[in-house]
Amino acid sequence: MPLSEPPPTAPDSPAQPRWSSRSVGTPLQHGIFYLLIRLGGTRAAVPLLHAVALYYVLLRPSIRRRTLPYLTRRFPAAPTWRRLLLAYRMIVEFGKVLIDRAAMGMSGLDPHSITLSGRETLLGVLGEGHGVVLLTAHVGCWQTGMAALNFIDVPVHLLMQREEGDIDLHYFEHRGLPCPFRIIDPRGFLGGSIEMLQALKRGEVVSVMGDRDSGSVRNTVAVEFLGGTARFPFSPFKIAAAAGAPVVVLLSHRTGLSSAHLEVVDVIRVPDNLRVDPEEFKPFVEKFVKTLEDYVTAHPFQFFNFYDMWDINAAQEPVRNTAPSLRSMRL
Amino acid sequence: MTTKEQLKQILVSDLNLEDMTPEQIPDDSPLFGQGLGLDSLDAVELVVIVQRHFGVEIKDMQEARSAFQTVETLATLIDERRPTT
Repeated sequence: MPLSEPPPTAPDSPAQPRWSSRSVGTPLQHGIFYLLIRLGGTRAAVPLLHAVALYYVLLRPSIRRRTLPYLTRRFPAAPTWRRLLLAYRMIVEFGKVLIDRAAMGMSGLDPHSITLSGRETLLGVLGEGHGVVLLTAHVGCWQTGMAALNFIDVPVHLLMQREEGDIDLHYFEHRGLPCPFRIIDPRGFLGGSIEMLQALKRGEVVSVMGDRDSGSVRNTVAVEFLGGTARFPFSPFKIAAAAGAPVVVLLSHRTGLSSAHLEVVDVIRVPDNLRVDPEEFKPFVEKFVKTLEDYVTAHPFQFFNFYDMWDINAAQEPVRNTAPSLRSMRL
Repeated sequence: MTTKEQLKQILVSDLNLEDMTPEQIPDDSPLFGQGLGLDSLDAVELVVIVQRHFGVEIKDMQEARSAFQTVETLATLIDERRPTT
């Protein structure tokens, strides 16, 4: 099951994120799940999922521990024995998201399986012609939910990094279909920032995740989240300000096996005169994080960040692997 | 004042490089990474700066890739594309 492994680090590499989207499952394990889904649909894979989750909770403490930073914040009064149950439920819920994704990929999208509220709002802001930053998070079925946005008639770009050696398949890859989105790789030229800006200027949609930093504190601000301080990126708001684009907060939750609900929960407008100081963007990040917190409170087992996002001292400054820059020399 | 000098002044003022003077920025110093130390979000700002101050829109990735190397390369693009008054 694809919980995440710590990302590989090299001594002279740039700052590395503390999270990873790489699956911890082997190709064989994935293959067994895919086979069950092909033979019997999503329901056939669920019993095995429960067994795998139990195995992770009882026999793979390193994986169980990754659920704890969030669970101890969300359920601070839970005694140790209950945290085991919570971790089990958390892993099962995450597994169901992955099963849904695979099933959708194999059989195509059932138009009735994903509902969307806020469609008119989204179309309204798109109609303004400045592009839209679609800000989402690792909540619910964030990947398959995107498939429900096929009514948007402008290109949709996803800022997405595929980890080296990751065996996880995106839903569209199961049937060898071309990706319905245009992928912007954050490891590309200038982190994809220029590509995103240009897409917005063409009136297109750029979807980014707003709940994980890139490993560097430089492009983040510290805000309160679930009773502690965590760092969140302000880059989506910065790019929105530069393009004059509204930020549409889009979150999702599973409503049952193979069904989900997608919601436009907020539209955040960032003045276009904000420029360089991260603190200028903090109120907008706080607004997003408060929305996220409310959503997580309502759907406690559908928040999938398996690392300690509250350990803000672990976020690294960017590491230069060559000579120091003029900018760093003057600091 | 040349475009390069203008650009250096604007970089210092608009990108919060106040501890640095325009004269300290070499023409051929890389803008990003080891040179000036600008990052991807500074690049976004740079696109805005170039449009606001010089009326030049950087429209595609190829153009951005070649222009966003040094002050020299960016100034060359601006001079080529700047609307004549």
